[in-house]
Amino acid sequence: MNRRQALGCGLPLLSLSACKAGLALPRGDARTLAIAIPGEPAGIEPGTNLAEVIGSEVILNIFDTLVAWSSDEQTRMEPRLASAWQVSPDGLSWRFTLRPGIRFHDGTLLDAAAVRYALERGIAINSYFHATMTPLARIATPDAGTVEFHLSHPVPYFPALLAQPQAAIVSPSAVRARGKDFARAPIGTGPFRFLSQEPDVALTLAANPAYFRGRAWLDRLVYQVIAAPSTRRMMLEAGEIDLCHQVGQLAALSVEDVSALRRNPALRVIEAPSQILRQLEFNNRLTHGPTADLRVRQAIAHAVDADGLAQRIMGGTVDRAYGPLPTANWAFDPAQKTRAPAYDPARARNLLTQAGFAPGQLSLDLITFTGTLWTTVATFLQANLAEAGIHVAIEQMEFPALRARHTQGQFALALDGRSPWFNDPDAHMSIGYLSSLATSAMTFRMPPDAALDRLILGAQSAPSQDKRRALYADLQAELTERVPAVYLFSNKVIAFASARLRNLRVGSTPPLTEYWQVAKA
Amino acid sequence: MMAMLFLRRLASALPVLALVLVLVFALARIIPGDPAETTLGPGATSQQIAALRHEMKLDQPLAVQFTAYAGQVLHGDLGVSLKTHRPLREALAAKLPATIELAIAATVLALALAIPAALLAALNPGGWIDHALRVIAIAGVSLPAFLTALALQAVLGAWLDWLPVALRQSPWASMPPITGFAVVDALLRGRIDLLGDALAHLLLPALVLASFLAASFSRLLRASLIAVLQSPHVRAARARGLSRRAILLRHTLRNALVPTLPIIGIQFGDMLGGAILTETVFSWPGLGRLTVDAIHNRDYPAIQAATLVFAAIFILVSILIEMIALWLDPRLRKEGGA
Repeated sequence: MNRRQALGCGLPLLSLSACKAGLALPRGDARTLAIAIPGEPAGIEPGTNLAEVIGSEVILNIFDTLVAWSSDEQTRMEPRLASAWQVSPDGLSWRFTLRPGIRFHDGTLLDAAAVRYALERGIAINSYFHATMTPLARIATPDAGTVEFHLSHPVPYFPALLAQPQAAIVSPSAVRARGKDFARAPIGTGPFRFLSQEPDVALTLAANPAYFRGRAWLDRLVYQVIAAPSTRRMMLEAGEIDLCHQVGQLAALSVEDVSALRRNPALRVIEAPSQILRQLEFNNRLTHGPTADLRVRQAIAHAVDADGLAQRIMGGTVDRAYGPLPTANWAFDPAQKTRAPAYDPARARNLLTQAGFAPGQLSLDLITFTGTLWTTVATFLQANLAEAGIHVAIEQMEFPALRARHTQGQFALALDGRSPWFNDPDAHMSIGYLSSLATSAMTFRMPPDAALDRLILGAQSAPSQDKRRALYADLQAELTERVPAVYLFSNKVIAFASARLRNLRVGSTPPLTEYWQVAKA
Repeated sequence: MMAMLFLRRLASALPVLALVLVLVFALARIIPGDPAETTLGPGATSQQIAALRHEMKLDQPLAVQFTAYAGQVLHGDLGVSLKTHRPLREALAAKLPATIELAIAATVLALALAIPAALLAALNPGGWIDHALRVIAIAGVSLPAFLTALALQAVLGAWLDWLPVALRQSPWASMPPITGFAVVDALLRGRIDLLGDALAHLLLPALVLASFLAASFSRLLRASLIAVLQSPHVRAARARGLSRRAILLRHTLRNALVPTLPIIGIQFGDMLGGAILTETVFSWPGLGRLTVDAIHNRDYPAIQAATLVFAAIFILVSILIEMIALWLDPRLRKEGGA
């Protein structure tokens, strides 16, 4: 009898038999995986999910996409519902061949018409998906096993768009039969079926015995809502949950918690590099003021100890960044490692003097999100800049307020970041640096620059990967010269798992995990 | 007569609810940021946000939005969550039992601790027991809930492994709800293992919630007991030669409880809507967490529905407390009924 049972017997209302029957039951049976999530998923079917992380992961386990990121390196696409695909020489039409004989959980057959129905439905009802699919002109279905996508302009990474969870294929007959209720009990082709959802408590999936790649090893996936990070950590340590992902800022465990969990032999900390990038950005639209002077921006870049931040402050939970693309991006140019401004406070002070600022004369405001992580980083930067003789006033605010300040350009420095969902440089470049989009979102607010815009668009649509890689190398160099930001780090995707779990591969682009092959020892 | 009074109080509560409806509708929209921005996150463009805002009907004039909302509420429809797309009536119905169960457990636990403590203290005011209890009470009132909660979780849950760290029941015990009250459902199913599981999960959060109420209530009841002990009927009882203990239990407690009832009522009402920290730390799926999540997500319909329900419960509890006070002390009935 363990200690928990002993206390159970001490509870006044329990008899001895209850201890045997009740509290002695295993906490989770061996074929159930209990995953802690910080809050209820928003949208567990492709039509309603607006890139929300938890719901997206649920979708990837209930549904399949035509193609998927390879589970090893996540740098290339692998077949899923489609067995093969090819692009026309002009880059305008993509032809996908479907695997025959795949059935939805409701028994109906997946064919080209179903794929077309599902994607057109997603574009019609999901505003996020609609925005990502703007290059798509129309979908054709020449026969039951073939789907053709005709684009308005070439998009070399088009398959990556089809690998998004929002592009997963829903069962048309189930959508028609269930109507609005489909969003609450979705039907796909995936390794797990939707079983039940208790709002804000738990979401349960059960293995799909007829899965086309073979039945999953697990019987059940239980997503358990556990709001407080400290509680998640303790439950993980007590063995009450098997797995917990480091998702989002609010949900994140502190660096101290991560270190403590790393030391625990009953747990495994799984890390993967991600496409997330965090930077100290300048308000590049400002035409006057100190940061409009390139020398001041260079001074600030040299004043920041990015290695110290990544190693000491973030405790190795991040990879250092050397430029506008994270090191895990396929187009990252290794030359950036030498090109990136080195930590050199003396040089920083020197540059400031050249720009006409004596030590202590320059004061700047820095805006950022609320939360311990952002506070830690902001105060570290504040200390770095103080060393170079720059006074920084930090203002932290909730996201909506920050977005308003940022898009209206009322700041000098902002601590910000981008978390793209797929491994393509364009996910960072177009929205971040196109001067035509500068005020449409939280961007780098680049000033009008036709040459730079041409380079970005050229690199986006160049036909071959090698050509694109070369253009992106140029772009990285160009941007580094302009110092639109001080690039800090790329958060690793981290999962804390029971040491009993086998074959767990943590997805990094997107940061989602498929549990099809996961087993429990 | 009690029934009439109850109905009258209920009727006078309606304007209050209407005011709450207007206020919360306005307040939700005064918080900076809106649901479309919050839903789409930092990567979104202004066009995407505008499209979602249109989809959520937030681009309509406020008056139009309010009229539509008020009409809905009058038809008993609390609306649909902008985040989960589920009807809020369902979400609230699923969460209310959890909150009520925790509040009842905490109140019962608090009374079970506080009444004996107050009696012991009043038996010999100024004695060492009284002083010791005062120290414990001060600690109980001043320790913040999250601290007590974390300490209990870390020691009893993670370290000693006696009680579950969090959640309302173990994953294996999860079954479709009958009443939604885990303890009641376990009894209805006749499953003593489920009952044990539910009680084991209930104990720590209830203890955390109870500590403040027990501490403040025990001091209040002690003072009230001592005051009643000075009254003529007690002196008469003492003259008849009854022991101090018998006097306390038989002739004092009932009278002393009446003035402390509103405190229990207010605290109980608070627990129903405000056990936010405890619910968060223990992952307790209750009303408090729903409200916090709703505010965080700027989920206007959810903020409105939760506040309305909370206001309704608070009013109901106040009326019930008044009824209990009337039942305990017939002298109040004249004034109350007048």
